[in-house]
Amino acid sequence: MNFRCISIMVASLALSASVLAESLAIVVHPANATDLTTEDVSRLYLGRARTFPNGESAVPINLAEGMLARESFDQRALSRSSAQLKAYWSKLVFTGKGTPPQEVDSHEEVLKLVATNPSIIGYVPASAADERVRIAIQLD
Amino acid sequence: MRKSLLVISALSLTVSMTCLADIQINGFASIKAGTSTGSDKTLYGYTDTIDFKNESLFAIQVRSDLGDKLSVTAQVMGRGSNDFDARFEWAFLTYELTESMRINAGRLRTPFYRYSDFMDVGFAYDWLRVPQGVYGLGFNNLEGLSLYHTAHLGEFDSTLQLLLGSYSGDISLAGNPASADIKNIAGVTWELERGWWSVRTAYLSGKVSIDAPALAPLFTGLTQAGLPGLVAALDFNDDQSEFIGLGITLDQGDWVLISEYNRINVKNSFFAKRENYYLSLGYRFDSITPFVSFEREDHRSKSAIYQPYTTVLPPQLLQPLIAVVESQSVDTKTWNLGLRYDFHPAAALKAQYSNEKNTLTDNRNDAFAVGVDIVF
Repeated sequence: MNFRCISIMVASLALSASVLAESLAIVVHPANATDLTTEDVSRLYLGRARTFPNGESAVPINLAEGMLARESFDQRALSRSSAQLKAYWSKLVFTGKGTPPQEVDSHEEVLKLVATNPSIIGYVPASAADERVRIAIQLD
Repeated sequence: MRKSLLVISALSLTVSMTCLADIQINGFASIKAGTSTGSDKTLYGYTDTIDFKNESLFAIQVRSDLGDKLSVTAQVMGRGSNDFDARFEWAFLTYELTESMRINAGRLRTPFYRYSDFMDVGFAYDWLRVPQGVYGLGFNNLEGLSLYHTAHLGEFDSTLQLLLGSYSGDISLAGNPASADIKNIAGVTWELERGWWSVRTAYLSGKVSIDAPALAPLFTGLTQAGLPGLVAALDFNDDQSEFIGLGITLDQGDWVLISEYNRINVKNSFFAKRENYYLSLGYRFDSITPFVSFEREDHRSKSAIYQPYTTVLPPQLLQPLIAVVESQSVDTKTWNLGLRYDFHPAAALKAQYSNEKNTLTDNRNDAFAVGVDIVF
Protein backbone atom coordinates (compact mmCIF):
# COMPACT_ATOMS: atom_id res chain seq x y z
CA MET A 1 0.00 0.00 0.00
CA ASN A 2 2.75 2.40 1.01
CA PHE A 3 4.84 1.43 -1.94
CA ARG A 4 1.96 2.00 -4.26
CA CYS A 5 1.32 5.43 -2.81
CA ILE A 6 4.96 6.35 -3.15
CA SER A 7 5.10 5.21 -6.74
CA ILE A 8 1.97 7.21 -7.51
CA MET A 9 3.48 10.25 -5.90
CA VAL A 10 6.71 9.89 -7.84
CA ALA A 11 4.81 9.36 -11.07
CA SER A 12 2.58 12.33 -10.46
CA LEU A 13 5.49 14.58 -9.59
CA ALA A 14 7.14 13.67 -12.88
CA LEU A 15 3.95 14.37 -14.78
CA SER A 16 2.95 17.48 -12.89
CA ALA A 17 3.77 20.10 -15.50
CA SER A 18 1.97 18.43 -18.37
CA VAL A 19 -1.12 16.99 -16.66
CA LEU A 20 -2.26 20.06 -14.77
CA ALA A 21 -2.38 22.18 -17.87
CA GLU A 22 -4.10 19.53 -19.95
CA SER A 23 -7.84 19.10 -20.45
CA LEU A 24 -9.69 16.23 -18.84
CA ALA A 25 -11.80 13.84 -20.86
CA ILE A 26 -14.93 12.54 -19.16
CA VAL A 27 -15.25 9.09 -20.66
CA VAL A 28 -18.09 6.58 -21.02
CA HIS A 29 -18.62 3.29 -22.87
CA PRO A 30 -18.79 3.73 -26.69
CA ALA A 31 -22.37 2.38 -26.62
CA ASN A 32 -23.36 5.11 -24.18
CA ALA A 33 -24.50 7.98 -26.41
CA THR A 34 -25.38 10.39 -23.61
CA ASP A 35 -23.94 13.90 -23.67
CA LEU A 36 -23.09 15.48 -20.37
CA THR A 37 -22.67 18.97 -19.01
CA THR A 38 -20.15 19.83 -16.29
CA GLU A 39 -23.14 20.11 -13.96
CA ASP A 40 -24.24 16.52 -14.79
CA VAL A 41 -20.72 15.27 -14.11
CA SER A 42 -20.57 17.17 -10.83
CA ARG A 43 -23.94 15.75 -9.70
CA LEU A 44 -22.83 12.19 -10.47
CA TYR A 45 -19.52 12.53 -8.64
CA LEU A 46 -21.12 14.20 -5.61
CA GLY A 47 -23.71 11.43 -5.33
CA ARG A 48 -26.58 13.80 -6.10
CA ALA A 49 -27.59 11.90 -9.22
CA ARG A 50 -27.31 8.21 -9.83
CA THR A 51 -28.43 8.09 -13.42
CA PHE A 52 -27.32 9.64 -16.69
CA PRO A 53 -29.65 12.35 -18.02
CA ASN A 54 -31.27 9.66 -20.21
CA GLY A 55 -32.28 7.71 -17.10
CA GLU A 56 -29.77 4.87 -17.43
CA SER A 57 -27.94 4.02 -14.22
CA ALA A 58 -24.51 5.56 -13.79
CA VAL A 59 -21.51 4.39 -11.74
CA PRO A 60 -18.76 7.00 -11.40
CA ILE A 61 -15.15 5.87 -11.02
CA ASN A 62 -12.63 8.17 -9.39
CA LEU A 63 -8.88 8.34 -9.59
CA ALA A 64 -7.03 7.86 -6.32
CA GLU A 65 -6.42 10.81 -4.06
CA GLY A 66 -3.09 12.49 -4.70
CA MET A 67 -3.09 11.85 -8.46
CA LEU A 68 -2.83 15.05 -10.45
CA ALA A 69 -5.74 14.34 -12.76
CA ARG A 70 -7.85 13.79 -9.62
CA GLU A 71 -6.86 17.13 -8.17
CA SER A 72 -7.56 18.80 -11.47
CA PHE A 73 -10.95 17.04 -11.71
CA ASP A 74 -11.91 18.06 -8.16
CA GLN A 75 -11.17 21.67 -9.03
CA ARG A 76 -12.60 21.82 -12.55
CA ALA A 77 -15.65 19.58 -12.32
CA LEU A 78 -16.54 19.83 -8.64
CA SER A 79 -15.07 23.26 -7.79
CA ARG A 80 -13.83 21.98 -4.46
CA SER A 81 -10.48 21.17 -2.92
CA SER A 82 -9.71 17.56 -2.07
CA ALA A 83 -9.97 18.35 1.65
CA GLN A 84 -13.41 19.91 1.17
CA LEU A 85 -14.56 16.85 -0.74
CA LYS A 86 -13.27 14.56 1.95
CA ALA A 87 -15.29 16.51 4.51
CA TYR A 88 -18.31 16.46 2.17
CA TRP A 89 -18.18 12.68 1.85
CA SER A 90 -17.62 12.09 5.52
CA LYS A 91 -20.98 13.81 6.07
CA LEU A 92 -22.72 11.40 3.75
CA VAL A 93 -20.86 8.26 4.74
CA PHE A 94 -21.47 8.65 8.46
CA THR A 95 -25.14 9.30 7.99
CA GLY A 96 -25.61 6.31 5.72
CA LYS A 97 -26.67 8.65 2.91
CA GLY A 98 -24.04 7.79 0.39
CA THR A 99 -20.65 6.38 -0.42
CA PRO A 100 -17.96 8.11 -2.46
CA PRO A 101 -17.15 6.78 -5.93
CA GLN A 102 -14.80 3.81 -6.08
CA GLU A 103 -11.20 4.80 -6.69
CA VAL A 104 -8.66 3.24 -9.00
CA ASP A 105 -4.93 3.87 -9.20
CA SER A 106 -4.28 4.40 -12.90
CA HIS A 107 -5.69 5.97 -16.03
CA GLU A 108 -5.48 2.57 -17.73
CA GLU A 109 -7.74 1.03 -15.08
CA VAL A 110 -10.33 3.75 -15.67
CA LEU A 111 -10.27 3.07 -19.40
CA LYS A 112 -10.53 -0.69 -18.92
CA LEU A 113 -13.49 -0.44 -16.58
CA VAL A 114 -15.32 2.09 -18.72
CA ALA A 115 -14.76 -0.10 -21.78
CA THR A 116 -16.39 -3.10 -20.07
CA ASN A 117 -19.58 -1.52 -18.80
CA PRO A 118 -21.99 1.04 -20.32
CA SER A 119 -22.95 2.23 -16.82
CA ILE A 120 -19.47 3.29 -15.80
CA ILE A 121 -18.21 6.84 -16.17
CA GLY A 122 -14.67 7.94 -15.56
CA TYR A 123 -12.15 10.62 -16.46
CA VAL A 124 -8.57 10.68 -17.72
CA PRO A 125 -6.27 13.36 -19.11
CA ALA A 126 -7.49 14.02 -22.67
CA SER A 127 -4.33 12.61 -24.24
CA ALA A 128 -4.86 9.27 -22.45
CA ALA A 129 -8.36 8.67 -23.87
CA ASP A 130 -8.39 6.12 -26.70
CA GLU A 131 -10.84 4.27 -28.99
CA ARG A 132 -12.07 1.96 -26.22
CA VAL A 133 -14.10 4.81 -24.74
CA ARG A 134 -16.24 7.74 -25.83
CA ILE A 135 -15.65 11.27 -24.59
CA ALA A 136 -18.92 12.60 -23.13
CA ILE A 137 -17.48 16.03 -22.42
CA GLN A 138 -14.05 17.55 -22.26
CA LEU A 139 -13.13 19.89 -19.42
CA ASP A 140 -10.56 22.47 -20.45
CA MET B 1 -8.87 -5.25 -3.31
CA ARG B 2 -10.50 -2.08 -4.51
CA LYS B 3 -10.36 -3.36 -8.01
CA SER B 4 -12.01 -6.69 -7.22
CA LEU B 5 -14.84 -4.90 -5.42
CA LEU B 6 -15.28 -2.73 -8.41
CA VAL B 7 -15.40 -5.64 -10.78
CA ILE B 8 -17.99 -7.28 -8.57
CA SER B 9 -20.14 -4.16 -8.52
CA ALA B 10 -19.75 -3.78 -12.25
CA LEU B 11 -20.85 -7.38 -12.71
CA SER B 12 -23.81 -7.05 -10.43
CA LEU B 13 -25.12 -4.22 -12.57
CA THR B 14 -25.25 -6.37 -15.63
CA VAL B 15 -26.07 -9.73 -14.07
CA SER B 16 -28.23 -8.71 -11.07
CA MET B 17 -26.49 -10.65 -8.35
CA THR B 18 -28.18 -10.29 -5.03
CA CYS B 19 -26.48 -12.94 -2.94
CA LEU B 20 -23.44 -10.84 -2.05
CA ALA B 21 -23.44 -9.08 1.29
CA ASP B 22 -21.25 -6.08 0.65
CA ILE B 23 -19.87 -4.72 3.94
CA GLN B 24 -18.34 -1.29 4.38
CA ILE B 25 -16.52 -0.30 7.51
CA ASN B 26 -15.75 3.33 8.22
CA GLY B 27 -14.65 5.05 11.34
CA PHE B 28 -13.88 8.38 12.87
CA ALA B 29 -12.08 9.57 15.92
CA SER B 30 -11.33 12.77 17.76
CA ILE B 31 -8.54 13.22 20.25
CA LYS B 32 -8.94 16.51 22.08
CA ALA B 33 -7.23 18.14 24.97
CA GLY B 34 -8.44 21.26 26.69
CA THR B 35 -8.41 23.42 29.76
CA SER B 36 -10.00 26.56 31.13
CA THR B 37 -7.78 29.50 32.01
CA GLY B 38 -8.55 29.79 35.71
CA SER B 39 -9.57 27.79 38.76
CA ASP B 40 -12.86 29.69 38.94
CA LYS B 41 -13.72 28.92 35.32
CA THR B 42 -15.30 25.85 33.75
CA LEU B 43 -16.71 25.45 30.26
CA TYR B 44 -17.79 22.49 28.13
CA GLY B 45 -16.62 20.11 30.85
CA TYR B 46 -13.11 21.59 31.14
CA THR B 47 -11.54 22.88 34.33
CA ASP B 48 -8.12 24.42 34.82
CA THR B 49 -6.36 21.06 34.60
CA ILE B 50 -5.63 19.72 31.15
CA ASP B 51 -8.10 17.02 30.20
CA PHE B 52 -7.63 14.60 27.29
CA LYS B 53 -10.80 12.64 27.80
CA ASN B 54 -13.68 15.07 27.98
CA GLU B 55 -14.27 15.54 24.24
CA SER B 56 -12.35 12.61 22.76
CA LEU B 57 -14.26 9.85 21.02
CA PHE B 58 -13.91 6.83 18.75
CA ALA B 59 -16.54 5.40 16.46
CA ILE B 60 -16.88 2.57 13.99
CA GLN B 61 -19.65 2.40 11.48
CA VAL B 62 -20.59 -0.75 9.66
CA ARG B 63 -22.95 -0.76 6.73
CA SER B 64 -24.02 -3.97 5.12
CA ASP B 65 -25.82 -3.99 1.83
CA LEU B 66 -28.21 -6.91 1.90
CA GLY B 67 -29.19 -6.50 -1.72
CA ASP B 68 -32.65 -5.80 -3.08
CA LYS B 69 -32.45 -2.19 -1.86
CA LEU B 70 -32.11 -3.17 1.80
CA SER B 71 -29.14 -2.21 3.96
CA VAL B 72 -28.25 -2.10 7.64
CA THR B 73 -26.13 0.61 9.25
CA ALA B 74 -24.83 0.57 12.80
CA GLN B 75 -22.55 3.03 14.51
CA VAL B 76 -20.81 2.16 17.75
CA MET B 77 -19.22 5.03 19.63
CA GLY B 78 -17.12 5.36 22.74
CA ARG B 79 -16.97 8.81 24.30
CA GLY B 80 -14.17 9.83 26.61
CA SER B 81 -16.69 11.63 28.81
CA ASN B 82 -18.29 8.22 29.32
CA ASP B 83 -14.97 6.37 29.88
CA PHE B 84 -15.00 5.21 26.24
CA ASP B 85 -17.79 2.74 26.96
CA ALA B 86 -18.89 1.68 23.52
CA ARG B 87 -22.57 2.18 22.77
CA PHE B 88 -24.78 1.93 19.74
CA GLU B 89 -25.16 5.54 18.76
CA TRP B 90 -27.47 4.48 16.02
CA ALA B 91 -28.55 1.33 14.25
CA PHE B 92 -31.07 1.30 11.46
CA LEU B 93 -32.40 -0.46 8.42
CA THR B 94 -32.59 1.42 5.16
CA TYR B 95 -34.96 0.50 2.41
CA GLU B 96 -34.77 2.33 -0.89
CA LEU B 97 -38.29 2.81 -2.11
CA THR B 98 -37.12 4.57 -5.23
CA GLU B 99 -33.93 6.24 -6.36
CA SER B 100 -34.93 9.40 -4.60
CA MET B 101 -36.83 8.01 -1.61
CA ARG B 102 -35.57 6.02 1.36
CA ILE B 103 -36.99 4.83 4.63
CA ASN B 104 -34.77 4.41 7.70
CA ALA B 105 -36.08 2.51 10.69
CA GLY B 106 -34.41 1.98 14.04
CA ARG B 107 -32.33 4.19 16.29
CA LEU B 108 -31.76 7.42 14.41
CA ARG B 109 -30.20 10.80 14.98
CA THR B 110 -32.90 13.39 15.69
CA PRO B 111 -32.51 15.99 12.93
CA PHE B 112 -32.80 19.11 15.09
CA TYR B 113 -29.85 20.93 13.59
CA ARG B 114 -27.95 21.41 10.38
CA TYR B 115 -25.10 19.27 11.71
CA SER B 116 -27.15 16.80 13.78
CA ASP B 117 -26.38 13.83 11.58
CA PHE B 118 -22.63 14.27 11.82
CA MET B 119 -22.12 16.42 14.90
CA ASP B 120 -19.66 13.86 16.27
CA VAL B 121 -17.67 13.67 13.04
CA GLY B 122 -15.40 16.61 13.69
CA PHE B 123 -13.68 16.12 10.35
CA ALA B 124 -16.89 17.19 8.60
CA TYR B 125 -16.77 20.77 9.91
CA ASP B 126 -14.24 23.46 10.74
CA TRP B 127 -15.04 24.07 14.42
CA LEU B 128 -13.50 22.05 17.19
CA ARG B 129 -17.04 21.35 18.42
CA VAL B 130 -20.51 22.21 17.17
CA PRO B 131 -21.78 25.44 18.78
CA GLN B 132 -22.91 24.29 22.22
CA GLY B 133 -25.26 27.21 22.74
CA VAL B 134 -27.43 25.94 19.91
CA TYR B 135 -26.67 22.20 20.00
CA GLY B 136 -27.08 21.81 23.75
CA LEU B 137 -30.58 20.39 24.03
CA GLY B 138 -29.23 17.29 25.74
CA PHE B 139 -30.63 14.45 23.69
CA ASN B 140 -29.72 13.58 20.14
CA ASN B 141 -31.24 10.26 19.15
CA LEU B 142 -34.65 8.68 18.90
CA GLU B 143 -36.21 5.38 17.99
CA GLY B 144 -38.44 5.53 14.99
CA LEU B 145 -38.88 5.94 11.30
CA SER B 146 -37.62 8.50 8.89
CA LEU B 147 -38.44 9.07 5.26
CA TYR B 148 -35.95 10.88 3.03
CA HIS B 149 -36.86 12.35 -0.25
CA THR B 150 -34.36 14.05 -2.51
CA ALA B 151 -35.32 15.98 -5.61
CA HIS B 152 -33.78 18.28 -8.14
CA LEU B 153 -36.11 21.29 -8.41
CA GLY B 154 -34.86 23.46 -11.22
CA GLU B 155 -31.56 24.83 -9.95
CA PHE B 156 -32.17 23.57 -6.42
CA ASP B 157 -31.37 20.32 -4.67
CA SER B 158 -34.09 19.60 -2.19
CA THR B 159 -33.89 17.15 0.71
CA LEU B 160 -37.06 16.53 2.64
CA GLN B 161 -37.11 14.39 5.76
CA LEU B 162 -40.21 13.24 7.60
CA LEU B 163 -39.84 11.68 10.99
CA LEU B 164 -41.87 9.70 13.52
CA GLY B 165 -40.60 8.26 16.76
CA SER B 166 -40.09 8.40 20.47
CA TYR B 167 -37.29 8.95 22.94
CA SER B 168 -36.64 7.72 26.43
CA GLY B 169 -33.52 8.33 28.42
CA ASP B 170 -31.84 9.98 31.37
CA ILE B 171 -31.44 13.72 31.36
CA SER B 172 -30.71 16.51 33.80
CA LEU B 173 -33.57 18.75 34.90
CA ALA B 174 -33.02 21.83 37.05
CA GLY B 175 -29.72 20.23 38.06
CA ASN B 176 -31.35 16.96 39.09
CA PRO B 177 -31.15 13.56 37.42
CA ALA B 178 -34.42 12.71 35.72
CA SER B 179 -35.85 10.23 33.31
CA ALA B 180 -37.51 11.62 30.22
CA ASP B 181 -40.02 10.17 27.80
CA ILE B 182 -40.96 11.93 24.62
CA LYS B 183 -43.80 10.31 22.77
CA ASN B 184 -45.39 11.03 19.41
CA ILE B 185 -42.35 12.78 18.05
CA ALA B 186 -43.22 14.03 14.60
CA GLY B 187 -40.99 16.21 12.51
CA VAL B 188 -40.19 17.58 9.14
CA THR B 189 -36.95 19.07 7.89
CA TRP B 190 -36.36 20.59 4.52
CA GLU B 191 -33.09 21.65 3.01
CA LEU B 192 -32.65 23.53 -0.23
CA GLU B 193 -29.23 23.83 -1.77
CA ARG B 194 -28.09 25.75 -4.75
CA GLY B 195 -24.48 26.31 -5.69
CA TRP B 196 -22.82 28.09 -2.81
CA TRP B 197 -25.69 28.35 -0.40
CA SER B 198 -28.21 26.24 1.40
CA VAL B 199 -31.20 26.94 3.60
CA ARG B 200 -32.65 24.51 6.12
CA THR B 201 -35.80 24.52 8.19
CA ALA B 202 -36.86 22.05 10.85
CA TYR B 203 -40.02 21.61 12.82
CA LEU B 204 -40.44 18.89 15.44
CA SER B 205 -43.05 18.30 18.08
CA GLY B 206 -43.62 15.68 20.75
CA LYS B 207 -45.31 14.93 24.07
CA VAL B 208 -42.85 15.30 26.92
CA SER B 209 -43.00 13.56 30.29
CA ILE B 210 -40.17 13.95 32.78
CA ASP B 211 -39.87 12.32 36.14
CA ALA B 212 -37.39 14.00 38.48
CA PRO B 213 -37.50 12.39 41.95
CA ALA B 214 -35.85 15.45 43.50
CA LEU B 215 -38.84 17.59 42.54
CA ALA B 216 -41.46 15.21 43.94
CA PRO B 217 -41.53 16.78 47.45
CA LEU B 218 -42.29 20.21 45.98
CA PHE B 219 -45.07 18.89 43.76
CA THR B 220 -46.54 16.87 46.62
CA GLY B 221 -46.43 19.92 48.88
CA LEU B 222 -48.21 22.08 46.32
CA THR B 223 -50.87 19.44 45.74
CA GLN B 224 -51.46 19.15 49.48
CA ALA B 225 -51.76 22.94 49.64
CA GLY B 226 -54.71 22.56 47.27
CA LEU B 227 -52.93 23.75 44.14
CA PRO B 228 -53.03 20.84 41.66
CA GLY B 229 -53.46 23.41 38.86
CA LEU B 230 -50.12 24.95 39.74
CA VAL B 231 -48.49 21.51 39.70
CA ALA B 232 -49.95 20.86 36.25
CA ALA B 233 -48.50 24.16 35.01
CA LEU B 234 -45.08 23.16 36.32
CA ASP B 235 -44.57 19.48 35.70
CA PHE B 236 -43.85 17.62 32.49
CA ASN B 237 -46.80 15.33 32.09
CA ASP B 238 -47.46 14.50 28.46
CA ASP B 239 -46.93 18.16 27.62
CA GLN B 240 -46.78 19.38 24.06
CA SER B 241 -43.32 20.50 22.94
CA GLU B 242 -42.20 22.31 19.86
CA PHE B 243 -38.85 22.84 18.16
CA ILE B 244 -38.35 25.27 15.30
CA GLY B 245 -34.99 25.52 13.60
CA LEU B 246 -33.63 27.64 10.77
CA GLY B 247 -30.21 27.42 9.20
CA ILE B 248 -28.29 29.05 6.41
CA THR B 249 -24.91 28.21 4.91
CA LEU B 250 -23.00 30.31 2.40
CA ASP B 251 -19.88 28.57 1.18
CA GLN B 252 -18.37 30.49 -1.67
CA GLY B 253 -15.13 28.49 -1.69
CA ASP B 254 -12.96 30.86 0.34
CA TRP B 255 -15.48 32.42 2.71
CA VAL B 256 -17.78 30.18 4.74
CA LEU B 257 -20.69 31.69 6.63
CA ILE B 258 -22.93 29.48 8.74
CA SER B 259 -25.80 30.48 10.96
CA GLU B 260 -28.51 28.62 12.81
CA TYR B 261 -31.38 29.73 14.96
CA ASN B 262 -33.75 27.69 17.06
CA ARG B 263 -36.68 28.16 19.33
CA ILE B 264 -37.91 25.57 21.82
CA ASN B 265 -40.90 25.42 24.11
CA VAL B 266 -42.65 22.82 26.25
CA LYS B 267 -46.14 24.02 27.11
CA ASN B 268 -47.60 23.68 30.64
CA SER B 269 -44.20 23.11 32.20
CA PHE B 270 -41.48 25.18 33.84
CA PHE B 271 -39.23 24.65 30.80
CA ALA B 272 -38.05 28.13 29.78
CA LYS B 273 -38.86 29.52 26.36
CA ARG B 274 -35.56 29.07 24.61
CA GLU B 275 -34.09 31.01 21.74
CA ASN B 276 -30.58 30.25 20.56
CA TYR B 277 -28.49 31.20 17.60
CA TYR B 278 -24.96 31.35 16.31
CA LEU B 279 -23.20 33.02 13.46
CA SER B 280 -19.87 31.70 12.22
CA LEU B 281 -17.52 33.13 9.62
CA GLY B 282 -14.45 31.38 8.29
CA TYR B 283 -11.94 31.89 5.51
CA ARG B 284 -10.02 29.13 3.74
CA PHE B 285 -6.37 29.90 3.14
CA ASP B 286 -5.71 26.72 1.22
CA SER B 287 -5.32 24.12 3.99
CA ILE B 288 -5.83 26.50 6.91
CA THR B 289 -9.27 27.78 7.84
CA PRO B 290 -9.46 30.31 10.67
CA PHE B 291 -12.93 31.17 11.93
CA VAL B 292 -14.71 33.35 14.40
CA SER B 293 -18.18 32.67 15.74
CA PHE B 294 -20.69 34.17 18.12
CA GLU B 295 -23.33 32.24 20.05
CA ARG B 296 -26.28 33.50 21.99
CA GLU B 297 -28.49 31.57 24.41
CA ASP B 298 -31.59 33.30 25.67
CA HIS B 299 -33.81 31.12 27.87
CA ARG B 300 -36.64 33.09 29.48
CA SER B 301 -37.92 31.46 32.62
CA LYS B 302 -41.70 31.31 33.00
CA SER B 303 -41.93 33.51 36.09
CA ALA B 304 -45.64 34.05 35.36
CA ILE B 305 -46.25 30.54 36.69
CA TYR B 306 -45.48 31.46 40.29
CA GLN B 307 -46.21 35.20 40.34
CA PRO B 308 -49.93 34.86 41.32
CA TYR B 309 -48.87 32.75 44.33
CA THR B 310 -46.09 34.87 45.86
CA THR B 311 -48.35 36.27 48.56
CA VAL B 312 -50.32 33.06 49.11
CA LEU B 313 -47.72 30.36 49.55
CA PRO B 314 -45.70 29.68 52.70
CA PRO B 315 -41.96 30.31 52.21
CA GLN B 316 -41.06 26.62 52.47
CA LEU B 317 -43.04 26.06 49.27
CA LEU B 318 -42.55 29.43 47.59
CA GLN B 319 -38.76 29.44 47.75
CA PRO B 320 -38.17 26.05 46.09
CA LEU B 321 -40.92 26.88 43.59
CA ILE B 322 -39.17 30.09 42.52
CA ALA B 323 -35.79 28.35 42.53
CA VAL B 324 -37.00 25.60 40.22
CA VAL B 325 -38.64 27.96 37.72
CA GLU B 326 -35.74 30.41 37.70
CA SER B 327 -33.16 27.63 37.36
CA GLN B 328 -34.22 27.49 33.71
CA SER B 329 -33.15 31.03 33.02
CA VAL B 330 -30.08 31.35 30.81
CA ASP B 331 -28.59 34.42 29.19
CA THR B 332 -25.16 33.89 27.67
CA LYS B 333 -23.04 35.26 24.88
CA THR B 334 -20.09 33.28 23.64
CA TRP B 335 -17.24 34.20 21.31
CA ASN B 336 -15.17 31.49 19.68
CA LEU B 337 -11.94 31.90 17.81
CA GLY B 338 -10.24 28.98 16.18
CA LEU B 339 -8.77 27.29 13.18
CA ARG B 340 -8.72 24.08 11.24
CA TYR B 341 -5.56 22.86 9.57
CA ASP B 342 -5.86 20.05 7.01
CA PHE B 343 -2.41 18.59 7.52
CA HIS B 344 -3.33 15.17 6.12
CA PRO B 345 -5.97 13.96 3.62
CA ALA B 346 -7.85 12.15 6.40
CA ALA B 347 -7.03 14.23 9.43
CA ALA B 348 -7.51 17.81 10.55
CA LEU B 349 -5.83 19.64 13.40
CA LYS B 350 -8.06 22.06 15.29
CA ALA B 351 -7.60 24.68 17.93
CA GLN B 352 -10.34 26.78 19.48
CA TYR B 353 -10.72 29.29 22.27
CA SER B 354 -14.21 29.93 23.62
CA ASN B 355 -15.22 32.67 26.02
CA GLU B 356 -18.73 32.67 27.45
CA LYS B 357 -20.26 35.61 29.25
CA ASN B 358 -23.13 34.82 31.57
CA THR B 359 -25.18 37.99 31.83
CA LEU B 360 -27.31 36.73 34.73
CA THR B 361 -24.36 36.08 37.03
CA ASP B 362 -21.95 38.48 35.34
CA ASN B 363 -19.45 35.63 35.16
CA ARG B 364 -17.07 34.70 32.41
CA ASN B 365 -16.05 31.14 31.63
CA ASP B 366 -13.65 29.97 29.01
CA ALA B 367 -11.98 26.95 27.46
CA PHE B 368 -9.07 26.41 25.14
CA ALA B 369 -8.80 23.11 23.33
CA VAL B 370 -6.71 21.55 20.60
CA GLY B 371 -7.37 18.27 18.88
CA VAL B 372 -7.18 16.06 15.85
CA ASP B 373 -10.22 14.78 13.94
CA ILE B 374 -9.70 11.70 11.82
CA VAL B 375 -11.82 9.69 9.43
CA PHE B 376 -10.84 6.20 8.34
